[in-house]
Amino acid sequence: MTLQNDKIKMALAKGRVADKTIDRLKEIGYIFPDYSKESRKLIFTDTTGSLEFFLVKSPDVGTYVEKGAADIGIVGRDVLLEHPANVYELLNLKIGQCRMCVAGFKDTQIRYNQKLTVGTKYPHIAKHYFTQIDQPVDLITINGSVELGPILGLCDCIVDIVESGNTLRENGLVVLRSILDISSRLIVNHVSLKTKREQIDPIVEKFKELAF
Amino acid sequence: MLTTYTIEGFENIQYQGFQALSKIERSLTRLYSRYGYHQVATPTFETYDNFVQNGAIPANELFKFISRKGQVLALKPDATLSVARMAAINHHDPNEIIKLFYQTNIYRHFSSPGDVKKEMTQMGVEFFGDNSPECDGEIIEMAIKSLKANGVADVQVDLGHVGFINYLLDELTMSQDERARLFELIENKNLGDIQEFLSTHQYDPKISKIILELPMLYGDPADVFARMTKLCVNQNMQEVVKHLSALYEHLKSVGLAQYVTFDLGFTSSMNYYTDLIFKVYAGNWGAPIIDGGRYNKLSQQFGIDRPACGFAVNLLSLMDYLEEHDLIHVENPPHAVLLYRAGDKARTFETANALRSQGNIAEVFTINSLPSAMIERLAGQRLYQDAEFYVFSHGEVLKWQDQDLVPADRILSIALEPEQE
Repeated sequence: MTLQNDKIKMALAKGRVADKTIDRLKEIGYIFPDYSKESRKLIFTDTTGSLEFFLVKSPDVGTYVEKGAADIGIVGRDVLLEHPANVYELLNLKIGQCRMCVAGFKDTQIRYNQKLTVGTKYPHIAKHYFTQIDQPVDLITINGSVELGPILGLCDCIVDIVESGNTLRENGLVVLRSILDISSRLIVNHVSLKTKREQIDPIVEKFKELAF
Repeated sequence: MLTTYTIEGFENIQYQGFQALSKIERSLTRLYSRYGYHQVATPTFETYDNFVQNGAIPANELFKFISRKGQVLALKPDATLSVARMAAINHHDPNEIIKLFYQTNIYRHFSSPGDVKKEMTQMGVEFFGDNSPECDGEIIEMAIKSLKANGVADVQVDLGHVGFINYLLDELTMSQDERARLFELIENKNLGDIQEFLSTHQYDPKISKIILELPMLYGDPADVFARMTKLCVNQNMQEVVKHLSALYEHLKSVGLAQYVTFDLGFTSSMNYYTDLIFKVYAGNWGAPIIDGGRYNKLSQQFGIDRPACGFAVNLLSLMDYLEEHDLIHVENPPHAVLLYRAGDKARTFETANALRSQGNIAEVFTINSLPSAMIERLAGQRLYQDAEFYVFSHGEVLKWQDQDLVPADRILSIALEPEQE
C-alpha cells in the first residue's frame, strides 16, 4: 500500500469560492500555470506535480471526497448541511463568509400560531430551522432568484444566503432572522487523512495559517 | 407508471446482484465457520421497548407495528442486540464462550435529505464471554479478512475507544444535547467549530484544551499512545491507554499491525459500545463497510453479565464496492436451451438431465412455431444472452449456429450418439 508518491486530488466548488481558493493556493506556494477563469480544462496540476484540482458543482464536492475520487475538497458549509457527506470537516477557512437568513418584507411577522409559506434553495436547512423554533411552515423549493418569491406573492418569506445584503435591499426585502453563519470548509476523505498523511498535513497546515 | 411500485429507501436485488451477493455470503460463511463461529438467526421483529429503553436507537428511526395482543413491535433495527438476547436466553453461564454469526436484514427509518437505504443486509459475528485483548484481536482479524477474502486489496481499520472521550467529558458538567453536539464535531474533526463551541461555553480551560487535541489524536500508534498518556486526567483514561496498547501489541505479534491506525476522535451512534470501537474501510471509500466494537454491558439488560465483542459487515455496500472495482467474477456454467417436438420428448428430457448432472444449465421448451423464429426470439432476451440453442426434431439434433440450424454431434460437453434406427 504505497500511496506515498500519489498526487493529492482536490475538488473545488465552482464559482466564487474556487476563485478565492486558487488565490489562497498561490499565496501558500501552489502555482497552477494553465489555470485561467476562461479555461475549458477540467483538471489542473500545480508546478511541483504534488497537487491537482478539479472544478465541480458545489453539491458534488462532498460526494467526490466521500467516495475517494478526491482526497480533499473545499465547499461552503451551507452545501454540506444541505447535502451531508461522510467526510472530515477539518478546517473553517473563513473565506466566502456569509449568513443563512430568513428574509422577507419588513412587516412580515414570524408567529408560531400562523403558518408561513417559505421559498428556498435550501429545504433541508429551512425545515430543520423551523422545526427547531416550532414554526409551522409550507416549504417551496425554488432554484434561483429566490427574492422573487415574496415580491410575486409566491411565499411569505425566503431562506437564503445573505452576503452583503445588496440583493435583498434592491428588492425591498430585509433580514428577519439569522439562522447560522456560513463559510468555506476544508473537507478530507476518511481514509486519505490517515493513509496520505504526509502529503495532506502540510497542505492543511498552510491553510490553517491563513485561516487563523 | 412503474415508479409507483418503487418504495423509497428499498430496492430490488437483480439476479446479477444476487449472484454477487451470495458469492460474498458464501465466502464469509466459510471464513466465520472456520474460526469456530456458529450461524444463528433471530426474528424479523423485536419488541419496541428493547431499543427504546436503553436508548440505543432513536424511537423515530424504528418501523413500528402493533401486534394483536397490543404489544408494540419494531422491525429489527440492529442485529447485535437480538443476538445478545438470544445468547442470554440459551446460555446461562456468564463465563461460557459463545461465538455466533448471522446474516440478516435490518430496517432503519433514517431521516436525511439524500437517498438513504432503509433496508440493509448485514452479516456479522459476536464473541461472548471473553474480555481479553486477544478476543478484540480475533474480531479485528476476522473483520480484515472479511474484506480480504473478497478481493479488497486496501483495507484500513480505524481503532478507537468510546471511553476516552466519555471519561474526559465526565469531568465537565454538560447536558446530553451539548455532549451529542460536541461528539459530532469531534467525529467530523471540525476544529473550527469545536473552538467556537468551547468559547461559547464556560468549561474548565484545561479540559477544553484537551478536547481540542482529540480530533487530531490519530496516526502512528506509538505516537498516539504517547500523546494519549499526556492527556489523561483520570484513572479511567489511563486504563484505556493500557488496554489499547495491549491490543496493539497483540496485533503486531500476529502480523496485522499494518492495517490499523488508532483514532481517539470518533464515537459510535450505537450507544451500547463500552470499550473498543472500530470501523473498516475499503480502498478510498469514506463510508466504512464494517462497524464493530466491544459491548460489555449489553447482556446485563437480559439478566446475564457477560463481556462481548463483534462487528457487522454491510453486505450491500461491500457489493457496491466490489462491483465498482470490478472485483466480482461470477462464473456461470454453460447454458443450453433444448427445443423439441412431441416425438423427441423422452430423448430431450434425458439429454437435459444428463447436462444438468454434469453441472450445466439446461432448459427445455416444446416447439410450438417455427424453431428458428422461436430461437431468434429467445436469443434476443437478456436472460438468454449466453445460451446455446439446440433443436430435437424427428430424431435429429440440430444446433443454432450463425443464424442457421446445422446438424450437431455434441451438446456442450456431451457427445451425441447417432440415433439408432
